[in-house]
Amino acid sequence: MKHFIKILKVAFQAINRNKMRSFLTILGIIIGVGAVIMTISAGEGAQQAVRNQISGLGNNLLMVYVKSEHRAGVEVRMGKELDKRDLEILNKNSVWMPEVSPLVAMGVQAVGGTGYKTTTIYGTSHDYFNIMSRTIVMGEGFTEQDVSLARKVCLIGETIRNLLFGGEDVLGRQVTINKVPFTIVGLLEEQGETGMGMDQDDLIIAPYTTVQNRLYGSVNYNMIVASAVSEEHVDDAKAEIIELLRESHHLLPEEEDDFEVRTQVELQEITSQVTGTLTILLSAVASISLLVGGIGIMNIMLVSVTERTREIGTRLAVGARESDILTQFLIEAVTLSAAGGILGIAFGLLGNLLIYKATNFFVPTVPYSILIGFGFSALVGVAFGYFPARKAARLNPIQALRFE
Amino acid sequence: MTMPFPVIEVRKVSRVFRNGDIEVQALKDVSLTIQKGEFVAVMGASGSGKSTLLNILGCLDMPTSGDYYLDGIHVNKLDKNELADIRNQKIGFIFQSYNLLARTTALENVELPLIYNRTGRFSSVREIARRALEQVGLGDRLEHRPNEMSGGQQQRVAIARALVNDPAIILSDEATGNLDSKSSFEIADLFVQLNDQGTTILMITHEPDIARFAKRVITFRDGQMLSDEPVSERNSKAEALRTLLPLTSKK
Repeated sequence: MKHFIKILKVAFQAINRNKMRSFLTILGIIIGVGAVIMTISAGEGAQQAVRNQISGLGNNLLMVYVKSEHRAGVEVRMGKELDKRDLEILNKNSVWMPEVSPLVAMGVQAVGGTGYKTTTIYGTSHDYFNIMSRTIVMGEGFTEQDVSLARKVCLIGETIRNLLFGGEDVLGRQVTINKVPFTIVGLLEEQGETGMGMDQDDLIIAPYTTVQNRLYGSVNYNMIVASAVSEEHVDDAKAEIIELLRESHHLLPEEEDDFEVRTQVELQEITSQVTGTLTILLSAVASISLLVGGIGIMNIMLVSVTERTREIGTRLAVGARESDILTQFLIEAVTLSAAGGILGIAFGLLGNLLIYKATNFFVPTVPYSILIGFGFSALVGVAFGYFPARKAARLNPIQALRFE
Repeated sequence: MTMPFPVIEVRKVSRVFRNGDIEVQALKDVSLTIQKGEFVAVMGASGSGKSTLLNILGCLDMPTSGDYYLDGIHVNKLDKNELADIRNQKIGFIFQSYNLLARTTALENVELPLIYNRTGRFSSVREIARRALEQVGLGDRLEHRPNEMSGGQQQRVAIARALVNDPAIILSDEATGNLDSKSSFEIADLFVQLNDQGTTILMITHEPDIARFAKRVITFRDGQMLSDEPVSERNSKAEALRTLLPLTSKK
């Protein structure tokens, strides 16, 4: 042990004698470890943001889509479109879903008193606000009657109010959507940006009948959303939807569903999976830079062994054992990469902080990312340090002493 | 004068180098005994086998045949690690090109053999290294690095390094080969002083006037010992410097 400490000292002296080169050697590791920490943290941040956003929708949410498949990179709608008949069946027969709303969304140009904006209009029923947990802060919203009569009324988000009306009181005022005038009957509570940077207040909501008749020109829905009576009955509600829609679509028992039902929980799982995969992918890319950093260390260590051939010969001549030389060079490599790891962690943490300050996108520093980063760098040191160290230890002392 | 065993006893040692089909006999049946307190110079042309002998004596190389006893230890039977330990404890090396560690102080350079000493014999490493440097006259250069010293001073550091582990013998491979005459004589004189204090020394040299500082001169040719004679008229620093004078005044 005492002997090991002496060898440790020798290795440190060698690093200390080449400060600049040592630093440049570990630069690759610093960047690699920093990148690993930052990507893992960013992935975790995205995941948290998406999770918050989805759980904000309420835990009893269900969504029904037309079944679609990705074919050659294009999403192709496979099933029967959702329409009035489906909605009526759900409304009439459902036991577990007190609130059901169709959803017709489209991009539109909205013109107001002080400006205009390209935005999205959502055509829904009056139940939509409850289902999606969107609060109306001003006005009453629209009624069932507004829907059945397809009245030209709408609610707007905060962003639309600011851009089109300069933030003034908007109740009762007119907004022209794709040349159709609508009366504003409500203002939605501000929700801010999503974790992914989407503005949740840049929207207009109007009765779906109006949107279909005046703007969309189709009797189909993009989606039907519903909420279960309670969180425990989400699965019952899902089974109910499947049963009712199969009936509505006249599907034979052997035929597959031509629609898809997603619960909020499933949605969360899917997005977690996607962001999780993305994180792994990004980390893999970051690990490559770590690998390259390791090769850099090996390269420099090999150069260093050649450059210090005479020194190694001298050490062997004065009585160093092969294992002493091996240990010394291995310690040098591991110390370098571990130092790179520590600086890399600092770099990664600083990077996370800077991202947060610059974009307000909170990046939680995941503890295991630090472990991974540091562990990886130490591993790289051993793995890439061993070969040069062995080369050094196996030098023939006679030739090494005369090496020019 | 008879010792329990000689410092070096070499019996019928041969060394053959094989390079593909070509065999080179670098040493042929060399036998040699060196007692404690001797000061031997080995001379010979390049390729005469004197460096091969030095490598074998220094436990850096093994003879192809024959036996080698160093301080009573049968070296042939040792493994790599034991050889390293023998080099560490019994031998002090001095090289033509000093082989000091760059960017390392004189003191740290001299400490080097002690770092690898596993016997625990040397407790105050720094103090021992300092004393060795004082012994070679570099007490005021402890913290100097090789690039801050002259060739002669660097070689003195190397000699201190060879002395520091209190070896059975000091092996010098053309220690004065890179030095000017004056520095050469000073180094040779240092050898004489160390020998006078009891250190056993074997030095390889090309220069006859350096060889005459020793007590005994061995000459090699083609891997065999040509002659082995005591030096009748030993050279000294004062005398050697005198021979330099007419040369310098001629300039």
